Amino acid sequence: MTPRRADDIIRFLCKLMNCAIVLFLLTPIIVTTLMAFDARDYLGPLPPPALSFRWFTAFFSDSYFLKGLAISLKLAACSVAISLTAGIATAYATDQTTFRGKDALIAFFLSPLVVPPVVTGFALLLFLSKIGVIDGFARLLCGHIIITIPYTIRATLAALSGIDRSYTEAALILGATKRRAFWDVTFPLARTGIISGAIFAFAISMDDVAVSIMLTDAKTYTLPIALISSMRANFDLSIAAASVMLMAMTVLLIVILEKLIGLNRAIGQGVFR
Amino acid sequence: MTSLTRRQALQTAAATFAATSIGFMSRAAGVPELTAVEWGGGVVDAMKLIAAKQDKVTVNWVLHQGGSGAILPKIKATWPAAEYDYVAGWEGSFNGMLKEDWLVPVTVDMVPNLADIPEKIIVKNAKGQWMAVPRAVGGIYFAYRADTSPIEIKSIEDLFDPSLKGKLCWPGPTQSMMLQIVALALHAGGDENNMDPGWALMKKLAESGNIGRIAVTDTDFTTSLTSGETVGGFYSEPQLTSVAAAFPVTRLTKTEGMPVFLYQSGFAVFQNRPNLQATLGFINFAISPEMSEIYAATAGEAPLNVKAKTPDNLKHLAFTPEEFDKFVYVPDFNVVLTNQDAWAKRWEDEIAPLI
Amino acid sequence: MDSKRRPNPLFLPAAGLFLLLFVLPMAGLVVESLRTYVPGRIGSAEGAPFTAANYAELVKPSFAVFFFQTLRLSLAAALVGVFCALPLAHWTARKLSPRWRTLAIGFFVTLMFLSVLVRTYALELTFGAVGPLGPALRAIGISTNSRGYIEILVAAGLLHYIIPMSTLTLLATFQNVDPRLTDAAQVLGAPAWKAHLTITLPLCIRGILAAFLFGFTFSISAFVIPMILGKGRVLFISNLIYTRFSEIANYPSGAAISVVLFVLAMLLVYVMTHLVNKRWAQ
Repeated sequence: MTPRRADDIIRFLCKLMNCAIVLFLLTPIIVTTLMAFDARDYLGPLPPPALSFRWFTAFFSDSYFLKGLAISLKLAACSVAISLTAGIATAYATDQTTFRGKDALIAFFLSPLVVPPVVTGFALLLFLSKIGVIDGFARLLCGHIIITIPYTIRATLAALSGIDRSYTEAALILGATKRRAFWDVTFPLARTGIISGAIFAFAISMDDVAVSIMLTDAKTYTLPIALISSMRANFDLSIAAASVMLMAMTVLLIVILEKLIGLNRAIGQGVFR
Repeated sequence: MTSLTRRQALQTAAATFAATSIGFMSRAAGVPELTAVEWGGGVVDAMKLIAAKQDKVTVNWVLHQGGSGAILPKIKATWPAAEYDYVAGWEGSFNGMLKEDWLVPVTVDMVPNLADIPEKIIVKNAKGQWMAVPRAVGGIYFAYRADTSPIEIKSIEDLFDPSLKGKLCWPGPTQSMMLQIVALALHAGGDENNMDPGWALMKKLAESGNIGRIAVTDTDFTTSLTSGETVGGFYSEPQLTSVAAAFPVTRLTKTEGMPVFLYQSGFAVFQNRPNLQATLGFINFAISPEMSEIYAATAGEAPLNVKAKTPDNLKHLAFTPEEFDKFVYVPDFNVVLTNQDAWAKRWEDEIAPLI
Repeated sequence: MDSKRRPNPLFLPAAGLFLLLFVLPMAGLVVESLRTYVPGRIGSAEGAPFTAANYAELVKPSFAVFFFQTLRLSLAAALVGVFCALPLAHWTARKLSPRWRTLAIGFFVTLMFLSVLVRTYALELTFGAVGPLGPALRAIGISTNSRGYIEILVAAGLLHYIIPMSTLTLLATFQNVDPRLTDAAQVLGAPAWKAHLTITLPLCIRGILAAFLFGFTFSISAFVIPMILGKGRVLFISNLIYTRFSEIANYPSGAAISVVLFVLAMLLVYVMTHLVNKRWAQ
């Protein structure tokens, strides 16, 4: 077999695999959309016998859900802003140096990821009560910062590590200050990683159940918690409607981003294309 | 850079928040506001109907997030500061709370309508004080979907029938205080104090391959049954009611050899709260005969007030004294509660690897 | 370069947040794990005596099985996830036109916003016993009720999160590798696959490690996915911990399991990071 022949076969297999993966990823989105329009009161086998808008109506007419949505958005925005800033600083600080214990420090910054969120929430609840923080929003913010920050650190670090040092060094040799070199050279190159880190962080915060469950108070609760609490006996399909709505919002945001700055430029391009 | 992005984000978020929360700011002035923890779904709907029929208090409803135990660490963490005036629960959660000494003992003087509630169902502490106000009764028992079950289940032996392979939904170790294993023990000649026969039978059931899903949450059970994944199991009433809303469900509440457990749904009143009198007043109103009937119709649990009528769709929960003696088993909840930890570990050790 | 030997103080804000929001709470959890628990109570009593019993009772074969199961499925999911994400990220970064690339990235981002609860139920309805695939699977002799199939379902649930996450991570990495390097190798006669294997992959190794660790740590702490797709039959350690934090209310025991899981997972993460850095560090 000639090398070109082997290449063709491998290329074909890769394409096949990609298609299969996209199909696998797509299925639950389709099923969720079906669920959101399902007219039935319960979770039944697919396809649904009749369609309706009832779950969307239920979602938008319930002030309990809308309040949860408002708090969730506020919480996600605040926690992502904090963890992104701290995350970029940390990734930059560790990427530029090779000191003893660097691996250990990075592993330490990743460590909240290996703790089941139920545990993180529980430990924070005990600690924050002990030091007198009982305000629901403050507690939730603390919890969401600690679950999002490893994502922003890791994603930024991964992007920074791929950048050839010679670009920054070239800028320094050409007389740029360290700060200029970072903002003009390093940062734009790491943009894809930073933005994807922010997206992970935002999505994780919006979807979190297990940490938030421990940290809400009588008046402050997030959307996923509101959805879970509302279904005691039944699987309430409002949650599917909420999910479809959230995805629609994401798509809208992407379209706006695309029109404004060009998504492709924001995260579609690195050093080479 | 830090403060700027943060401030901007906060401002945007605050604006969004303000826009959506105006509706929540307007509250009736002058009457005390209670903070109550209730179950979502039909139960809180029923309590909202009841609250709308009086004007002595307004209520901020907080919903249980998961099982009745999920709220406990939160109360424990902030104690002795209490955030809730009352918490709705059942024997399982009341017993834990009273051991922590969180609750206010209640008397007929404080809640006059308690005089119409059967005394023997009221949860008491070691000193014999009444520690919670029961409002309704629900049940935990065997039931199955009559339209999808391959066989008619009539006894515990039927659960082992090969045609039920993968078709049973069995409650996990956090569900219904593991009364399911007490039920097996009763069948095999034991009880909550002598559980070995129950565990032996549980092992046999696990090995039979008939258990298709272990329900870890209430919705697990309903979705498993409504989606057709499994056909039956041992579960409590609000879940069975919601399955029964769409499918024929046979509840084995009056079948010889099938143990039935009843539980109370009720109010646990918390210490260290400013509006104790208003809370007791509201609870007294909620267990009045008329309100008990409203509650039963919406929540799917039968009234306990002897002056209230049980609605027709809850007849399976009404027992004559003879039926009660014959079918209903009242376990020693203190024994059940103290053994939760040991039973959960035994489940992980002996049962979980088999299923 | 002397300044490169010392850590840059910019990592201090994050370190402060970690100390306050993670180290101290976890230390509190360690203390709780050493408290004596009295059955029937809610957590340990104030000032309960210290004991090692909560750890001692974990030393038994059934627990080793639960740990092994969690680690095995998590490793498998993370490996398969990276394996699937590599061609997908490469395809997105290099083969697609700008318009399609935007669409693909938008798709991955949207996937991240699908609620985990809905996602798992959707997978259950598609691939589970009652899904449209059920009869087809049974026809070719696969029992949708067997333990093996449930394990695959749990892994599929994890992968549905890991693949888009890893793809987005690797996208950034691939974009920063000079395609002229592989072009040069091919001009010199190497087949494309060999060029990628010997040039692109080593250059991306830290990005790949990052994606792998994302997947691994996500899986090891996953809670809702094994809870629903595992049908209560395939249990992850987090599910055992939840049992103790909910109705059973044995917080000391739950804390002890958490501590053991944490130490074990950190050790694995550290060893893997160290090995990769040692092997491929420049």
